[in-house]
Amino acid sequence: MSLRFGRPAARRLTAAFAVMLGALALAACGSSSSSSSSASASSSSSAASSSTSAAASASTGTSSSSGAVDIASCGTKPGVKATGTPINIGTIDTHQPGTDFTDGPNMINAYFTCVNDNGGIDGHPLKLFVELDQTQPAQIEADAHQLIQTDHVVAIDGVFDLLECTLDAAYWKQLGIYEMDAGIAPECWAGPNSAAVNMGPRYSSDGAVQYAIDVVHASKVVFVQSNVPGTGYIAAGPAAIAAATHTPITELTANVPISDANSLAIKLVDDAGPNGAVVLNFTPPEALVILQAAQKLGLEDRVKSWGCSTPCDTDFLAKALGPKWNHKLFVNAELTNPDDHNGPDMQLYKAILAKYGQSVAGGVGSFSEMGFVLAKFLVKALETIHGPYTLRSVNNAIVNISNYKTDLLCSPWTYGHLPLHIPNNVDYTVTPDNGKMITVQGCTPISSADPQIAEYRKVAEAAGINPGG
Amino acid sequence: MTIIPAFLGLPSWQDLQSFIPAGVEFGGVYALSGVGMVVLYRATGVLNLAFGAVGALGALIAWSLINHSHTSFWLAALVCILVGGLLTLAYGMVFGRALAGRDPLVKAAATLGLTLILLGAMDLLWPSSGGQARSITFPTDNSSFQIGQIQVTYTNVIGIGIGIGITLATAAFLRFTKLGTTMRALANDREITATLGVPVARVEAAAWFGCGVLSGVAGLLLADLDQLDASTLTFLVISSLAPALIARLRSIPVTFVAAIVVGVVHAILEASATLTNYADMTPFVLAAIALLVLNRRRVIAVGRVGI
Repeated sequence: MSLRFGRPAARRLTAAFAVMLGALALAACGSSSSSSSSASASSSSSAASSSTSAAASASTGTSSSSGAVDIASCGTKPGVKATGTPINIGTIDTHQPGTDFTDGPNMINAYFTCVNDNGGIDGHPLKLFVELDQTQPAQIEADAHQLIQTDHVVAIDGVFDLLECTLDAAYWKQLGIYEMDAGIAPECWAGPNSAAVNMGPRYSSDGAVQYAIDVVHASKVVFVQSNVPGTGYIAAGPAAIAAATHTPITELTANVPISDANSLAIKLVDDAGPNGAVVLNFTPPEALVILQAAQKLGLEDRVKSWGCSTPCDTDFLAKALGPKWNHKLFVNAELTNPDDHNGPDMQLYKAILAKYGQSVAGGVGSFSEMGFVLAKFLVKALETIHGPYTLRSVNNAIVNISNYKTDLLCSPWTYGHLPLHIPNNVDYTVTPDNGKMITVQGCTPISSADPQIAEYRKVAEAAGINPGG
Repeated sequence: MTIIPAFLGLPSWQDLQSFIPAGVEFGGVYALSGVGMVVLYRATGVLNLAFGAVGALGALIAWSLINHSHTSFWLAALVCILVGGLLTLAYGMVFGRALAGRDPLVKAAATLGLTLILLGAMDLLWPSSGGQARSITFPTDNSSFQIGQIQVTYTNVIGIGIGIGITLATAAFLRFTKLGTTMRALANDREITATLGVPVARVEAAAWFGCGVLSGVAGLLLADLDQLDASTLTFLVISSLAPALIARLRSIPVTFVAAIVVGVVHAILEASATLTNYADMTPFVLAAIALLVLNRRRVIAVGRVGI
């Protein structure tokens, strides 16, 4: 007997493939529509028309406007393309299934394109070399060497990585490089050669716990985070904040990906009690699954409040959660909320994102905001250089960044020659409000009860630097 | 008797009860996943490690249809199930046939290849950059009722109901239908069954399609129960594999019972203060214990044997 399929079977197979491909195409079209709206609005714009006004970009959902911003203000010569020798900038970023930080470098690239279309840096275009890694230490160390030795970059700017700060700190110190990043690892804030525009998981968790205690007046806090290396370092911050106010705190970890969110949600609520607060430190998908599990089981009102560190500050989460979480979930926000702020830099950020940010898949959000700030500060530092753009001159300009202001951050940002850097230590709190995040608490300093914050403020003040808080 | 729960850091029985529905629901989904894998293995000799990835793809397509094309939930769910069935069928017809004579390990490794291709495609089409988070919620999620102190949602009921229904239907199908009988015959000896005039290709195609349909159902349920994330759903298949292994890839009823036990024990360990971080080991520990106990005084045979 023949085991081969005859013609009818082949036809059925072809039909099966056709249906599948159709479904895939339909899904792909749908999934890309969320991120292509800004791109489609801008793709026809040419470099010559870069002085486009960007008043309250409708594509970004801005609800209020305080005037218009000239997108050409990203550069010094509006409409003039930079044609000189490029200034090479390097970055290393995590990109693996489940952890994709590429919105950060993609936003930096968008900003650089804007600068290059408007005069560049004294006629020199900026070129970003992006190395993507999958959390493999040897790969990350090799990337650092490649950027310096092969790509001849003169600055490391815009590192969004799980491990990079830990692995490359000694190499940067040896070369005299002062990296600017949006960090994750403790070394991003704890060393002399790294400064971040974000606060990272520890200080952001501090802020969320501080809100639960000081504003919500929770009688107990249950702090839960993913069970990954470094949890002890992160948990030490919230523990210190709670101890300073004599508030009981239970610190838990949960394996990720979370395999039984219902059980975890029940456990958290049981531990916190009716007057307690649950504070999460997870990526958006993991936080979402816990919060949705709580909602399905009717647990959202069984504690006084829910809190979350910065990763939850996304409209994706607010939309997915729905109105039951309005003013029930309080999220620490390290950067200004794009939904209800519209200062000059916020407008410029949205305009550049709309015109040049086709590859920023997540659109408006914390990651692309951080990319904008990192690019803007670097460009401003480069503009202070008179003479050749060498590794030495560029990093000298970076470390001398002092009191750079942007309405995307609460307080001025300074690098400086310090043994540790936590320049962003004042932040907001936001809450879901019918599918968007709105600000419920303005700029508030992270408590110096966290010994790391206290140490930074002490050394910064001693060096004559505004410590922010 | 209270010493053991205290040692394990378990809460009181009153608190513990609320963890049980979630465990039973997960058990139901593990059951239908395990049944799908057992049926396919019995008919074709393939341990389908792409089960989770196929379900994840179906669920993500359903999510896109619901959120971007404003398709109704139930139509999107149907598309999810069909995508699972057709994709698995297509793989089975192309690669399953080509690898029919190879070692079971080679066949399983080939499905791992499909897993990785699908994982890459999903990462490309549904990126997680910029804090993107997706979810599928069943219309039944917000409707619940009380059994004593326990709150049960209708999605809990669907999860366990589908698990039981699929198990009973599959057992009846294998026992009472002609196609089911030929599947069992095929599991005994493919070559002899073929020489007896059984349309092997058609029987295998039915098994592939059935397994794919179950992967679509499981993907959809797990996307609601857990999270709609390609990696998470893809690798949840490992937990679903444990009940099938406990049943030694043979018995449908044992697969079902093992799945429920795995789900409930996992949920109870989640409640434990001391063992919560080890709860994810539940499927593997139970599978290892079961295999050690069941294989006492047995001769170990390498390769697939009949029913």
